[in-house]
Amino acid sequence: MAMRQALKAVLIDLSGTLHIEDTVVPGAPEALKRLRETPLAVKFVTNTTKESKQSLLDRLHRLNFSIQEREIFTSLTAARGLVERRSLRPLLLLEDSALEDFAGIETSDPNAVVVGLAPDHFNYQTLNKAFRLILEGAPLIAVHKARYYKRKDGLALGPGPFVTGLEYATDARATVVGKPEKTFFLEALRDLDCTPEEAVMIGDDARDDVGGAQNAGLRGILVQTGKYRAGDENKINPLPFTCILDSSWSSSCDNEMTLFSLHRNFKMLGNGLCRGMHGCVTGPETPPL
Amino acid sequence: MADKDWKECIKSLKGVVLDMCGVLYDSGEGGGIPIPGSVEAVKRIKASDLQLRFCTNETQATREKFVAKLKRMGFDIQVSEVFSPAPAALAVLKERNLRPHLLVHDDLLPEFKDIDNTNPNCVVIGDAADKFSYQNLNDAFRVLIQLERPVLFSLGRGRYYKETDGLKLDVGVYMKALEYACDVEAEVVGKPAPMFFQSVLTDMGIQPQEALMIGDDLINDVGGAQNCGMRGLQVRTGKYRPGDEKHPAVTADGYVDNLAEAVDIILKYRGQ
Repeated sequence: MAMRQALKAVLIDLSGTLHIEDTVVPGAPEALKRLRETPLAVKFVTNTTKESKQSLLDRLHRLNFSIQEREIFTSLTAARGLVERRSLRPLLLLEDSALEDFAGIETSDPNAVVVGLAPDHFNYQTLNKAFRLILEGAPLIAVHKARYYKRKDGLALGPGPFVTGLEYATDARATVVGKPEKTFFLEALRDLDCTPEEAVMIGDDARDDVGGAQNAGLRGILVQTGKYRAGDENKINPLPFTCILDSSWSSSCDNEMTLFSLHRNFKMLGNGLCRGMHGCVTGPETPPL
Repeated sequence: MADKDWKECIKSLKGVVLDMCGVLYDSGEGGGIPIPGSVEAVKRIKASDLQLRFCTNETQATREKFVAKLKRMGFDIQVSEVFSPAPAALAVLKERNLRPHLLVHDDLLPEFKDIDNTNPNCVVIGDAADKFSYQNLNDAFRVLIQLERPVLFSLGRGRYYKETDGLKLDVGVYMKALEYACDVEAEVVGKPAPMFFQSVLTDMGIQPQEALMIGDDLINDVGGAQNCGMRGLQVRTGKYRPGDEKHPAVTADGYVDNLAEAVDIILKYRGQ
């Protein structure tokens, strides 16, 4: 098969996969530890629009995950990268907590619009300002296009509806930088020296994590924690690369392991998924689904 | 070529339908200002043998207040000649027994004062302008998302309009936002909904091909009217942008600099 490629990297979603708010997903720390014992590169990828890298890192450290800043790649990182590459001066529709990730970026006399999750800025005046810039030709960059998210007081609108509204107003197309965009996954892999075919993505969002990754050429593994709801795996085509690892996945596995042997070494479970992060990287002691 | 077409139809015209904002006046602080020549142009149509109606997606005020404002600007206009989305929406709500959550301008609320809106089972959005806060939009979203089959009415689907201090986002943008958030398709009441134009034609008792729509909005005025079989003329005032004349999907039957020029041409071709 055309799959004889070494597995080199694992991308892991944060919220819902490693932790849920301030609680660790059971088994996730051990799973991560096991992954660290392999030669695989590990990166943490997340669609954040409110939290800076530093605040994500602080939380992960509080939860005792050993993670370095350079291992985290967020949709804000991706947005900043795009702004820098194109030398843009963005109007930033971002919460103060996210602005940290844009420190040092020139924002006077804006010629671009970056939209994240910014309830405080999604008022009529600010959206009008953004709209006029876009109508004059400023590019519209969306950190991601999530429809809504869950807040303590209930569901709340995400950036997606506002981005869609601005697109409609101006006939412009937003450049979306977060998951599930192909470029997001490719950017995340950029400094890992591996091709998409040599990487897997593990996450709890069928569409954004697994579907997006598979669309970019990676393998996608859906965990049944976080926002996962029964049947999510059927929402995407192709279906998630569903598996748990058996005991042959161990510290002895090396870069030569091919996706072909990945098939052998991963226990295919019908339409099964990983119960959680630990299911992806633990041995046969993982109870069958 | 298109230009020639609309002039050829002038002789068979029986009625003219005018958009208001951007054709009669530019809105803005203090109610706005008339576009030069428009007050006179309305008078001249009224003095001719053509019927005249006004068709607006204005939802920032009740029809009565809106007409009073135009009268103050000097326009010869009556409430009965004006078609706007709120009364049309009200009729639909009553017919379908719906209780709306209203996200509309405060000044439009009197139009809905007789309708029950406890425990809402649909959302009606209009051009709420400054009331389009995150909180208010979120409230509307929450009503929709908890409904088994979300029903969203939008009073028009305009993208933006021009006020004296610049272009402003219109209701269509927020309609799209809610559509995307809830995966629903809004029911549009007002232009460019065919039913809305049809009600104007019915009121005049004429056929679509006997009517000419004049507006500054290529999609909602011109395109909407054309979809109904009417002719559509675009004025180069209001929200008009030069790119409109090269639009991939909608081509007006003609373009004129302003309403005054349109009326000059119409009356000249009719020999009046």
